[in-house]
Amino acid sequence: MNFIDARQVPSGTELTPDLAIIGGGPAGISLALALARTRIRMLLLESGGMDFDAATQALCQGDETGVRYIPLDATRLRYLGGCSNHWGGWSRPLDEIDFEKRDWLPWSGWPFPRNELEPFYPRAQQLIEAGSFLYDNLAKGELPGSLLPLGPGGLYNSFFQFSQWRGNAEHLPTAFGHRYANDLKQIPNLQLMLHANVTGLRLAKDVRWVDHLDVATLSGVKFTVKPRHTVVACGGIENARLLLASKDVMTAGVGNQNDVVGRFFADHAIPRETATLVVFGGEIAGFYKTNLNARGAHFRAALSPTDRFRRERHLLGSLPTVEEHVQLDLLGKAAVATTSAALGVDASSAHAYSLGTGIELAPDPERRLILTSARDALGMPRLKLNMTISNREFDDYRETLIELGRQLLAAKSGMLRLDRRSRAEWLSVMDWGNHHMGTTRMHDDPKQGVVDTNSQVHGLANLFIAGSSVFPTYGASNPTLNLVALTLRLAEHLKGVLR
Amino acid sequence: MKLNRRNAIAVGASALVVVGGYEAFRLLRPHYPPTPYDDLLDRLSDRDAARQLGAAFLRTHPDFTPGAAARVLRRKVGTRDLSATVEDEAAHGELTEAGRWIIPQTLAGLCALAART
Repeated sequence: MNFIDARQVPSGTELTPDLAIIGGGPAGISLALALARTRIRMLLLESGGMDFDAATQALCQGDETGVRYIPLDATRLRYLGGCSNHWGGWSRPLDEIDFEKRDWLPWSGWPFPRNELEPFYPRAQQLIEAGSFLYDNLAKGELPGSLLPLGPGGLYNSFFQFSQWRGNAEHLPTAFGHRYANDLKQIPNLQLMLHANVTGLRLAKDVRWVDHLDVATLSGVKFTVKPRHTVVACGGIENARLLLASKDVMTAGVGNQNDVVGRFFADHAIPRETATLVVFGGEIAGFYKTNLNARGAHFRAALSPTDRFRRERHLLGSLPTVEEHVQLDLLGKAAVATTSAALGVDASSAHAYSLGTGIELAPDPERRLILTSARDALGMPRLKLNMTISNREFDDYRETLIELGRQLLAAKSGMLRLDRRSRAEWLSVMDWGNHHMGTTRMHDDPKQGVVDTNSQVHGLANLFIAGSSVFPTYGASNPTLNLVALTLRLAEHLKGVLR
Repeated sequence: MKLNRRNAIAVGASALVVVGGYEAFRLLRPHYPPTPYDDLLDRLSDRDAARQLGAAFLRTHPDFTPGAAARVLRRKVGTRDLSATVEDEAAHGELTEAGRWIIPQTLAGLCALAART
């Protein structure tokens, strides 16, 4: 069945699927694929079309305050496939510690441990097309090069894997919209509607149920969807916006009775050139510098803090990676010559590299999205993001780097220079991951979370949220693999609910 | 071997090469004025490079006192091999920064001494 163009739907139409999925990004598409060939009649509503359209993208515009962040209409994409249309394919499961409640990290912890997601990782790995599920097990087998020797301690050689669109000549990461368009068209129990913007979640008068969805197109068509159940899967920013903007019955917004929706926004801070890594023995293996194929995976090495180290030192997560080869200045050459000689090792062929990283942010209720009085072309209130990052994130990462430097010296394999110290220095090299998380966080306590352990909005029996907006703590791993796994878990739950 | 004239010349020439080579090495290698810390500084293979690193260390440690530092360093290093000492320090996290480079404390002390002499 071909996709439906919402602009061709007569205004005033009422559609009555079993399940409405709002948003055709990795979460929405994974959910539709997971519920294929069930008895659940699905309607997937995607705001955009098959490709980028400036007018649709402009619906994402908003304001920002606080630390400099990516403009809200540039940090995501509004057409089928969503943010998978511009992701880099970096993939890695969350670590066990990322799910734990930690006394030293306020607001931390998921309502379940990592092993709850384990059964869903293999299928999620298939959907993102990242090859065999190996990750840190890559270190145990044969590799095209040597691992960087590290003395015993807090960091270890770890691995990212990469999404690689099978059969795509340009070897792009999997762009879910184009990659799965034909699969979605083959699903008999799915209708997929393009150019369909949900502008409101309308609650029943008893405030325990979503009664219907308002849908509008930029061409002026308006109609209604009255589903039995709804999954909001519009991404970590738009999920919160839709809930906050739907305030005709719950005046603070749907699910926002405890003022949690839109708070705890997170991304991964990605400071560049954070440190200089010198390898005494010569060039570092290629898989630290770029992505390589081996053993059925497309992978790249990182240097990760262990869970144990993070627990002992009370540290946020980070994933330092080699950026590029750099030349040492005179002081650097003196440092390498003096240190290697003192250690009794030959560094005549030493190579130096800059290190970048992804850094986990601590949960912060003041890092938040709020509605403004400005409206988009469909009359939806626009958002303002208050972006924050504390010195704690930088201090934690710096402590991690010092441990890496120690381990290199202990192994006599290299040494490290810390290239950033002050907050201004960190912010001057700051990039962001476009990994929007946390704004409809998961927690068993409605005062601390928007959705419960099953991703159901607290107090609303037929409303669920999919995607990384439900992550209550973030880790340093890229979110796509994890949010797809979490969506597959939700699909299993919905099969029971909608039986 | 008979000590004839030819052999005597060969032995003499060889001796000249050995002695000359040693003298050339002695003359060409860097010479530093004697200091009270030469027992420590002799452990550095390249005192000029160490001086650069030491100068960077001193910029963030203006209170460094050579005499006091030397006493600590003699206690730490003693007659041990320098590599064993710095290896131990790396293992135990006894590190510091010099020009933002993470290095063992003893090495930083030796470099600072070199920079101050």
